[in-house]
Amino acid sequence: MENRPLSPHIQIYKWHISSLVSISHRITGIINFFAITLICLWFAFMLLGETNYQIINNFLETFLGKFILISITWSFSFQMLSEIRHLIMDYGYGFELQKTKVTGLIVIFGSIILTILIYLFGRGFV
Amino acid sequence: MLPATKKWIFLRISSLILLPLMFWFIVNLVNFYDKTYIEIVGFLTAQPNKTIIGLFLVFSYFFSALSISEVFEDYIKDEKIKNAANKALNFFAIVIPIITIIVISNLGT
Repeated sequence: MENRPLSPHIQIYKWHISSLVSISHRITGIINFFAITLICLWFAFMLLGETNYQIINNFLETFLGKFILISITWSFSFQMLSEIRHLIMDYGYGFELQKTKVTGLIVIFGSIILTILIYLFGRGFV
Repeated sequence: MLPATKKWIFLRISSLILLPLMFWFIVNLVNFYDKTYIEIVGFLTAQPNKTIIGLFLVFSYFFSALSISEVFEDYIKDEKIKNAANKALNFFAIVIPIITIIVISNLGT
């Protein structure tokens, strides 16, 4: 559509929990796109053989490698919880100001808790 | 049906399908990222893992293409740049999962 108005710059409005969750949802969506692409590249490296795989494996065992992995886990967790929030809102629930704040906070803190749980569960600590 | 309505329905359906796939994938990624080459190839080539990963890739790129195109719609003013960005996005969203599924199918052969 021509002359369709664009979203105003994010710094114009006063920040609220709902706007923070909304912009974070978009940012994590883009991060996930690149994260999955990196994982696809990792799989492609495996086709080249064990020696090439070892280069990536060595990197993943460094502090930076683990930090990237945990960041990806958080980004996926945030996206999942935020998507559940969106699906609930699609059914007409949670539009009241207080509820948007509460569900927004659940998404923010829940994503951190979920990241820890996924990490503990994935590493076999739970 | 309006194209925007169709897009919204596709977004919601793919999101619903993607949720359990994403959870399964991230738990397994955390589990296997530091395993040996043989163990990871064994994991990726075993069923149902291979099928689930394939579905995860298809739906996540489909979902990403739809949701990122919304971002382009909201923040890119120039129509030519927006169209080029959307075409590039759609191209990668189709090519990357196909290549990766082929790669996984050829692993361990």
